[in-house]
Formats: sequence, structure tokens, C-alpha cells
Amino acid sequence: MKFALFTGCVAKGATRELMLSTIKSAEGLGIEFIEMKSAACCGAGVVSEKNPLLADALNARSIAIAEEQDLDLVTICSTCQGILKKTESHVDSDPSYKKKVNNVLEEGGHHYAGGKIKIQHFANVLGTEEGLKLLRDKVKRPLTGLKTAAFYGCYVLRPSGLSLYEDPDNPTGMEEIFEILGATPVYYDSRTKCCGFPIIMMNKNASHDMAGNALIDAIDSGADCVVTGCPLCHLSLDAYQPEIDRMNKKGCSIPILHLPQLVALALGYSPQELGMDKHIISTARLDKILA
Amino acid sequence: MIITFKIKRYNPEKQGEAYFEDFKLDVQEDLTLLDCMNEIKWTLDGSLTYRMSCRSAICGSCAVKANGHATLACQRQATHLVKGDTIVLEPLGNMKPIKDLAVDFEPFWEKINKVSPYLQPKQKAPEKERVQSPEQFSLIDDSSTCIMCGSCHSDCNVLEVDEDFLGPAALAKAQRFVQDSRDGKTLERVKNLSKPGGIWDCTHCGECVERCPKPARPFDRIKEIMTVALEQGVTNNNGARHALSFTKSVKSSGRLNENIIPVESVGFFNFRGLFDLLPVGLRMLFKGKNPPVFHKSIDEVEDVKRIYMELDE
Amino acid sequence: MIKHDVVIVGSGLAGMRAALEVCEGLDVAILSKVYPTRSHSGAAQGGIAASLGNSESDSWEEHLYDTVKGGDFLNDQDAVEEFVKAAPRVIYELEHYGCVFSRTPDGKIAQRSFGGHSKPRACFSADRTGHAILHALHEQLLKRSKSIKIYSEWYMHSLVLDGDRCNGIVVSDIRTGAVEVMQAKAVIFATGGYGRVFNITSNAFASTADGVMAAFRAGIPLEDAEFVQYHPSGLYRQGILFSEAARSEGGYLLNGEGERFMDKYAPSRMELAPRDIVARAEQSEMDAGRGVDGKDIIHLDLRHLGEARIMERLPQIRQLGIDFIGVDCVKDPLPIQPTAHYSMGGIPTDKFGQVITDAEGTHVKGFFAAGECACVSVHGANRLGTNSLLEAVVFGERAGKSAFEYAMKVDHAPVNESHEKTKVLEQFEGVFQQNGDESYNDIRNQMKKVMTENCGVFREEKQLKTCIETIEKLQEKFKNGKITDKGKLFNTEIYEILELENMLAMAEIIAKGALDRKESRGGHSRTDYPKRDDENFLKHSLAYKTDDGIEIKYKPVVITKHQPAERTY
Repeated sequence: MKFALFTGCVAKGATRELMLSTIKSAEGLGIEFIEMKSAACCGAGVVSEKNPLLADALNARSIAIAEEQDLDLVTICSTCQGILKKTESHVDSDPSYKKKVNNVLEEGGHHYAGGKIKIQHFANVLGTEEGLKLLRDKVKRPLTGLKTAAFYGCYVLRPSGLSLYEDPDNPTGMEEIFEILGATPVYYDSRTKCCGFPIIMMNKNASHDMAGNALIDAIDSGADCVVTGCPLCHLSLDAYQPEIDRMNKKGCSIPILHLPQLVALALGYSPQELGMDKHIISTARLDKILA
Repeated sequence: MIITFKIKRYNPEKQGEAYFEDFKLDVQEDLTLLDCMNEIKWTLDGSLTYRMSCRSAICGSCAVKANGHATLACQRQATHLVKGDTIVLEPLGNMKPIKDLAVDFEPFWEKINKVSPYLQPKQKAPEKERVQSPEQFSLIDDSSTCIMCGSCHSDCNVLEVDEDFLGPAALAKAQRFVQDSRDGKTLERVKNLSKPGGIWDCTHCGECVERCPKPARPFDRIKEIMTVALEQGVTNNNGARHALSFTKSVKSSGRLNENIIPVESVGFFNFRGLFDLLPVGLRMLFKGKNPPVFHKSIDEVEDVKRIYMELDE
Repeated sequence: MIKHDVVIVGSGLAGMRAALEVCEGLDVAILSKVYPTRSHSGAAQGGIAASLGNSESDSWEEHLYDTVKGGDFLNDQDAVEEFVKAAPRVIYELEHYGCVFSRTPDGKIAQRSFGGHSKPRACFSADRTGHAILHALHEQLLKRSKSIKIYSEWYMHSLVLDGDRCNGIVVSDIRTGAVEVMQAKAVIFATGGYGRVFNITSNAFASTADGVMAAFRAGIPLEDAEFVQYHPSGLYRQGILFSEAARSEGGYLLNGEGERFMDKYAPSRMELAPRDIVARAEQSEMDAGRGVDGKDIIHLDLRHLGEARIMERLPQIRQLGIDFIGVDCVKDPLPIQPTAHYSMGGIPTDKFGQVITDAEGTHVKGFFAAGECACVSVHGANRLGTNSLLEAVVFGERAGKSAFEYAMKVDHAPVNESHEKTKVLEQFEGVFQQNGDESYNDIRNQMKKVMTENCGVFREEKQLKTCIETIEKLQEKFKNGKITDKGKLFNTEIYEILELENMLAMAEIIAKGALDRKESRGGHSRTDYPKRDDENFLKHSLAYKTDDGIEIKYKPVVITKHQPAERTY
């Protein structure tokens, strides 16, 4: 398994532990990731607020770079995944728009062909038959007794036409992975809802409220931890958890993990190796399960 | 197939609490959810209350929550909605139930009213029609398909926690006029829509697009208003500053400068806003989570800059 | 007692347009049993006619002739003339209101061909023209929300008539069950049609004859009730409308043998012949066993138009096919059959929207009607497509104007509130107390079945007599029903029962009118009297309520420019 890795910006910035654990879990599974060092930020749906064509051009360029390497593209961020799929859909569905976009890319030596490579989230790769087999074969430390709540992130689920999950209103991809890793998946309503990160600067209270509702739902459903597929969700649920806690006054906390961290833990890596000591909400309580 | 309809009943005339009641029907291949609801009402329990009229997905009366998500009952085949052998029916979200599946739409109409949902023409009307090109028509084509069914409003994640948000239906309706070439109040409109509770409070979760039974796609309309607002120079708010800062950052290095963007979003002189950022900033600094101060560019960042220049950014 | 200057019942195109006409200077209320944007006007798809000449040169004279010929010469031509003359101004006015219209490359309102029209004069908004106009008018209503009070989800029970003067209506709030009398100087009915008496209909569930029956019960006759239009392209078994625009854009009608059979029935216009002719052609093919798979199915084939054109001009139709019958018209033909679509008949009015009560044109003071519930008559025996949206807006305006002028001149007249209220309260109580064993649902289904089978596209004496007998039996059974929901809060069940009562009465009037009209004309087709009989039946029927049942009288047709001629296409 060899892929072009679209890291996204936040995995190398505020949530560097995501990049770290991605490399470790790939190492442990024997997956080869070629980092796309010349790919630009996906725009996160924000650049397109300023200039939709610019955002599509930047993303078409990134997809073209993967096409040129003849490698499927893998994202480790739900937002990047959703945005790249949106660009793919915009450009593929309108031949004259495609031409327009390629005109912009031309001078830089890139050309978006479309339909040549797959754009997948890491969770989707792990969820393929090959991926699941790899997981089964390589698990060294089954996460027995770890009650794990998935938080998918809006952009891998909606719009459902662009989602790689079979039933985006009721996905099971992440929970299937949890089971293979030996953990116990916890199903709860909020796992497909919004963490509020996009409006953290605009409407803090609403943002924290949304994140808080999801956390309380996970906690009430008996989860030991929440596992996200998106570093922005991680920031909202982890870095801002003290604010959220102050708002809803429930006095409970729950550690938030990145999916590659969960995978790497089951492969035998230690929490420190995976940057889990960098989290705002301590993951110490999980140590006894990981012992 | 035999389907069990688990329907949320509520009649404040009879008792205070809502409860679920089961109805079993033998459903044939091409019965819509509304057909089933009618069958239940007309043959099993006449007191089941809900709204419906056209049954052809144009009047917008029959939106309900099926299996937790808003949908237009007449537009969906019952056999496609079944989970196991059950369909759970509840009234629309974010609206107060009156009885069973019928909800109070008054607050919904109030929000629509807030966006001045009528043409405010540029000039006095000519003798014949105002000229509008097919391209200009296409800008308002999608939003004009909205049937005001309330499905987007029901499932909006922001409305769930903040009732001051205008909501996807009102904002999509607003776009219908913001981008109508015949309307003369674009600047005024986007100024109003950029205030708290407006476009920048949308969390981009995509629920509204997912639930919309028509091609209205409210979130896409909200983004269009954002672009117009930025073009019109309405930038004195966090959302607009965020978009501008983000776009600028990607131009300069090909990636996000996570240290600068929060500061530029709240505004350099917004001491209150900057102060609010301190706790999480310090927290992250303490844990070693803060993004590196020396911000590296991507490889081939020149190509990105070139693209920006070519697109006049 | 609630008091307004003008009360409008029905908030579709006609009702809302009337409200806009009346609101400056008078206290106006508009009342509807559904929220205004839910009105059935929104379901109209194809277009609104006007001789703008944006696509090809056109004139009101041609529009007049097409309409009169389309109506099989039963139209009142003086009214039609005003109607078609007003059309261009009305369209421009709608556009000025902000209505979204599809455009020509040079930015004018686009127009397309339509059945029975000799020139392309259907102005359209993709394939959702009714929806576009409905929302444009609703927006204008919201703009004037301080001057127009909307009573949404209120039901109109009866007309308050004192001699020859209308003084208000009796209503109830569907949400609370509270009965009120609304005193008004002028009342305008814009309550729509009554297709729901039939099994296969394009009409919404709300199209149940409430307005026309309130007028009928108050002693006003119903004009031309037997003329019901069967739209050729209703979705098989469901009746949902697939706009005639599909044929305007070039769609074909094919029988079970894959033939474009319209060349046998209307060789010059083919699929774009008027609706009654196409519906009869389809029915004949199906009756002769040439339906698709031997069933009552005709194919509407759009494949040759290509995806791009379908998505530009007929996007909603494509989605309807996919959603309601799982057929994508880009790939496969759509299964259709004739569906009861439009009621040419209704409350008789003069060309100013003023309700009249006899052949001489005696006014019912203070009572006006517009839109599908009225019969002016601009459509005669058969309505051309795109003329109904036009009718609603033109006569909504005219009725509004007439009501305005009248209401400015008079004072409110006294109303015996308790007397009027009691009648309705007793009606409610009556239904609540009934403890029989008949199923209202079965009664409704039987009515619909017998009306479609015995009073449908093709009619015949024995069948019509059976139909009337059956309806009368059903009316007896109706007295022996039982209601489940006896509460007051949002009791939709009792209103469905009141609607059923209205529909049974309307069904009988339609069948009686059909029985008495021993000719074939426009939408009314008798297999035992297959020819048009101008000598005996060039006249409008007026169905009166009497102690001995329904009595049919007649009213002359106003003929000005076009003498009746043979109607071929």
C-alpha cells in the first residue's frame, strides 16, 4: 500500500501529534506514505468564501500532483477530505469549468485529469478489505476494555453524494476499525454532528455549545475516549474543552484521540511516542487500559 | 413488507408528555412515506395529525423527521427509509410541536421576514420587463427552487444551540435577492447579513444541503452571500477577517499560519477579542502544542503565488 | 365577531393578487386553510400565457382566437378579450414584482409553445412557473404585512348572505377549533378547484370544493360544473402532474406499440393539440388495448431531447420521475395517463369578478370570485394550458378592484353572529356525535372510483345515472360515519370529513351537469352524443340547489368576434 499523503496544515501545526502518529501507524502497518510537500492548503472551505475559483484551482493542483505520481491520495483530516472531494466534483461535472481551472494551472506545469486517482481519508483506507486485514495481522496490544466513541467530522459525511461511507447518516467505518483493534465501540447520536470549529472565531458560545453537546452525549453513552478523524474537531473538542466545561458546568472531562493514535496504540506504540502528552485533556486515565 | 412506524405522539390537550406509538403496515414497493402516514390516519387512527397538501414535492407542507433526519414525506419511498423493519417518525427539529407531527412555523416565517424577502428594485420599473440575462438568472435559479419546507431549519446544527441564528432557509432566501441583478440594495443586504446571527454564524456542517428536497442547497447560497459581502468590502467582522486572513496566509506560504490567523480574525485592536484568545493560546503554549513561530512555506510556493496573481488576488 | 373591510378566502395566485389590489386604503384579511405558499397554484409548472411576442410576433387577437377555439366556442368572448388584452401588462407587472422568469439570450422573458396556442406565448420559469409566481406574490404580501392580515390555517364554512347581499363568512381556526364570524363589506373567493373528487388527479389534497359549495349552499348556482379537464400527462396511478411543457420542448407520446398515435387524432398539432383532445386520444388508445403492456399507460418519451435540455428546461419533471416512480426520463420513457386537472366550472362571475346569480347577470352584492373557483367564463369547455395562471392573476386583480370600489362605497351591514355561528357549531357537533359504522375513507375512495370510471374522460347516460345513484348512496352512508379525534386542538380529521361532505355534493353536481348536457364539447365527451350540438347546447349550465335536488338551468354564451366553427387541429 503506497499513497500520496495530503497532510493538511493543522496536522503539522497545532496538532503535530496527528502527523507524528500517522507516520508511526503507517510504519507499524507497513503502509508507505509519500508526503505531498508541494501541495497547498485545501482552503478548508474558507478560501472559497473569498474566491471559489481560487480554492478549486489550488485543490485541483494538489490532486494533479498526486495524479502525476500515479498514487491515490490519502487525507488525515475530514475537512481536507471533504474539500478535495468537492473540488473534484465541481471540476468533473462541468467541462468548461475544468478547462478554466486547467488554464490557471498550466503555467505551473500541472494538469488536472480527473478520474485517475482515488481521494480517501485514512479511515477509508483502513476500512478496505486490505486495510482491515493489515490491522488484524498487526495488532500487538488489543485495546480490550477501551470504550471508544467515534466523531467523524461533517465533511466526510456531507454532502452524502461525496462521502465514501456507505450510509453517511449511520456510518460504521470507524467503529469497525475500533473493533478490530480490540476496543469496544460506543454508538451515540452526536457522532455525526458538528464540532463547531468553523465558527470558533465568530460565535464562540454556539461553537462550544455544539462541541459540549457532543462530548456530554459521548460521556453519557459510557465512552472512555472520543476518537476523531479531523484535527479541527480535535482542537474544538480537546483544546477548548476547559471553556466548554466551564459553559456547561458538568464537571466531566474526556480525552480526545486522533484515529492514527488509536491505531498506533494497538500496534504497540506508547502514548508518549504518539504525542499524547501534548493533549490539553490528559489521556492519563487510559494508561491502565493500555498497560 | 411489514413496516413498523414508530410515531411520536403529542397532544397537550390530553397529556403533557410526548410518547411513541407503533403502527404496523404492509407496505408495497411504490408507497411514499406520506402514503403510509395517510393509510395509518385513514384506517388505523384518525387522530394522527400532520400537514400535507400537494403530495408532489412542491408545497412544502409534509416535512417530518424520519429516523432522526428531516425529509419531505411525499418525496421518499417508505421501503427506502426502513431501518431493520422500522421507521421512526418525529416532528421537525428546532420548532415547537403543536400536536403529533405538526410544528409551529411562526418563528420560521419571522426569520424569513427578517431578510427583507422581496425585490427592492434598482430603478423605477420600465414599461416592459427588466432585462436579465440567462447567466444572471442562473445566479438565482437554485435559491428560487426553495419550497420553504423547513427541513434545513429543522436539522441545522447552529439553530439547535443558538436560536438567534437566521438559519439556512432565511439565508438562502436572502441570496435570492442579494444576487438578483434587478435588486438595488445589495450592500445594505450584505451588511445586515454580516451581523451576528447572519452568514458568518453558519458552521458549514452541510446538514441543510443534505436535507433539502430541492436544488436550493442553502449552504452553497450562504457561501455565495459571503463572497458578495467580501467583494462589497463588508469586512468589519470576525468571519470576514478570518476569510481574508486565511486567504492571505495561503498566498504567502501555501499553508495556514495558525499563529497569525486568530489574531487577524478578531482584529489587531480588538483587545477584548485578543484577550479571549489568551487562555487557549497559553494552554497550548504550555503543552508545546502551539504552531512553530517560524512558519515554513510549502515546496513550490511560487506556483501558488502565481495562481493568486493570475486570479487577481 | 371579527371585522374587516374585505376578506379574501384562498391565498393562491388569485387571492394574493386580489389582496395586493385592495390593501391600499382598506382593511383587508386573507384567509386560507393552508399557509399561503402551500397553495395549489404553486404546483402549476408549464407557463403563463401572454402575447408579448418575445419569441415570435404575436397579438392579443391571436391569443383570443386560440382561447375561444380551445374552449370549443363556449367561452364568453367579451371576457376573453379583456383577459388576453390584459395579459402582457400583467406579466410585466409580475416581473416588476421580482418574479423569476427564464430568459432569452438577450435578457427578455422567454416564451415557449404550448398546446392549442398558435404562437409561443407561454412565459415560464424553468418548469416551476406557478411556484415562481406564487412566491413572488407571497413576497409582496410579506412586504405589506402591516396592511394585510393573514389568517393561516383557518377554514371557511359558509357565506353570510342576507337577501342579495353578502356580509361576511363563518370560519374556524383549524389550530384551536374556535368558530368565528368574520364580518366584511366584501368577500372574495379564490378557493381553487375540486379535482379531488376523482381517483386520478393532479390536484392537492386541499382541492375539495369548499368555496364553490359554500356559494352553492347559499343559493348561488354553479356554472359549467360538468366541464372538467383531464390533463394528458399525469403520472400513472398517482396522477401527479408532468407539465405539458415536456411536450412543448418536443416530447413524444407513444402507445404500447411505440407509435406516435397523435397523428390519428390531431395530425397538424400532434402532441401540442389542446389537452382534451390529447386526453381523449390517450384514453381511446388505452380503451382499445393499445396501452403500454396492455395497461392504462401511455409513454411520454423525452430521451431524444438530451440531458442538457432536460436539465435546463424540465429539471423538476426529471426529479419527479425519479422520486415518484423511479424512472429517469433521460434514459427511459415516463408512464402517464389522463389525470383530472382543472375545473373549468365554478362560481359564475361577470368579467369584473363580480359574482352573479342567474342568466341575467344579477349581482350578489359584496361577493366576488376569481381564479379556478370562478367561471367567467374565459375557458369555455376546455382550458388551454398557461391560461389558468393568467386567469388567476388577471381576475384576482379585477375582483380585487371591484371589491375595493364596492367596499369604499358601503358600510358594514349587521350580521346575526350567534345565528351564523350556531349553524356551524351544530355541524361540528353533528359529526362528533355520529356513532355509525361506515368508514369515511371507504366512502371517499368509492366516490373517487365511481367519478373516474363513470364520469371521466368518456361519459355515457347509463354510467352517469349509476354514478349519481352511487353518490347519493354514499351521501346516505356519510350520515352513518364515526370520527376518531374528538379534540379541538389541530383536528385535521374533522376538516377532512367536512371536505368529504363538500366533495360528495360537488360530485353529484358534476355528474348531473354531465348527464343533462347531451353533446360532446371540449372536456365533456359523451360516447352516446359524440358531436357538438350548437343548436341545443351552445349555452352555459347553471346548477341550482332546490328542495327537489339539483336543478340545471342555462345561460347564453357571449359571442363577439368568432362564430362557432368546427374545431380541428
